[in-house]
Parts: sequence; C-alpha cells; structure tokens
Amino acid sequence: MHVLTVPADLDSLDDVGKYVVEAASQAGLDRKAAYRLRLAVDEIMTNIINYGHTEVGLTGDVTVRSAIEADKLTIILEDRARPFDPRERPEPEDLDRPLEERNIGGLGVYLALKGVDHFNYEYVDQMNRNIFVMYRPLQA
Amino acid sequence: MAFTCTLTLNNEVAHITLAGELDAAVAPQFRAKIEEAAAAKVTRLVLFMSELEYMASAGLRSLAFAKQKMGANVDIYMVSVQETVAETITMTGFHNSVIMVESYDEA
Repeated sequence: MHVLTVPADLDSLDDVGKYVVEAASQAGLDRKAAYRLRLAVDEIMTNIINYGHTEVGLTGDVTVRSAIEADKLTIILEDRARPFDPRERPEPEDLDRPLEERNIGGLGVYLALKGVDHFNYEYVDQMNRNIFVMYRPLQA
Repeated sequence: MAFTCTLTLNNEVAHITLAGELDAAVAPQFRAKIEEAAAAKVTRLVLFMSELEYMASAGLRSLAFAKQKMGANVDIYMVSVQETVAETITMTGFHNSVIMVESYDEA
C-alpha cells in the first residue's frame, strides 16, 4: 500500500483509521483483528499528537507505512517528536475498581499493546517508530 | 462513518444516542452532551449504542468524566453495544461500573 503522511493533528485520526482498515482488509484480517489493530494505531497516534506535539507546542507530520507479507501485516507510525516508548508506560493496576475511584490514565497504551499480536518500538535517526504486527489467517 | 451524538432529557433520565466512530477528535462533542445532562441533575444516564461502530479510549474517559460530573450513584446504562466495542469496555474493566443491557425499556 501507499505511504500516508498527515499533520500531527486530531483531525488526522479519521484518515489514519481509514488507512488501517483498508490495509487490514487487503491482508484478510477478520473483523475483530482489524478492529483491534485500528484501535491500537488510533491510540498511539492520539498520544503522538497530544503528548508529542500539541502539549509541547510542536507541529509536524506523522508518516504511516504498511507492509503485507505472507504471514503478517505490519503498520508503522513514524514521527519526530521527543522519544517515547509506549512499552515503558506502566500498565493500569486498578482496572477492577469502580470508575470513580480509578486513575483513568494509561488506558490507550494498554489497549494498544494488548490488542495487537506484536508491538515494537525503536528510536532511529531522531525518529520514533511505533510498529504494530498482526498475523494473517492461514490461506485455505 | 461520521460521529453523531444526540441528547434527550426525560424528567430525571438522560438519553444519549451515539452513532458512527468515537475517537479523540470527536470525544469533546460527547463530553458536551454529558455536561448538559449533568447540569440538568439527572439520576440516570442511558446510552444507546447500537449504531456506534468504533470507540477509542477517549470515549471511556468521557464515561469516567460522566461519573465524576453526575456523582457515583447515577447509574449509566449501555444499550445494544456492538461486540467489538464491548470487548474494549470489558478489557478495561468499565463493565464493572456500568449496566450493559440488550434492550432498554423505561420502567
């Protein structure tokens, strides 16, 4: 699939969502797997926009790449905000507690990392690379 | 599909119908409706979700916001939640704090 470059702005979430849904369809992911992938990319993209850009007054672009191989679909988000590895964020510990007693942060990263088959992060050439992998169903 | 969010107030019960895709970009629209309902001092919030195809964690945070604004004793009902959306609600433990039902009839 083509490479998508969008401004780091919440208005871009819709375009990125459509891109991921299209890639998932081309890769033959089932409905639930496609949904979890779209959710994962959407959550990390939202963090890149809010914490990497808006909160620190930075403007920039995010590039979305995809690769379909025999056994897997990979989606990569690339941005030039300060380094942030989502895997370093502690998992929420109070998921079973009533809402009014909970600390509500960290849910997006939690859903992203739990939802994909494999997640990887690297910081290369002053660039964050968030890498999402879903295994494709075996072809009959 | 574009997100829509409509509020109706029936005495002390707020009905909000959600449709389309609820991400961080449109979550403020949902929050605005919750604030409107909270200002009317409702005792129950009923969310009709059969047409809601997608919900990110920004939607979950709006629900936590509703509990804060309205008070912990206001019951939140979720009606006809799609399976994929329900999975997110369950994974994050929110199902413990809301009442998920297949259909809703005002008693």
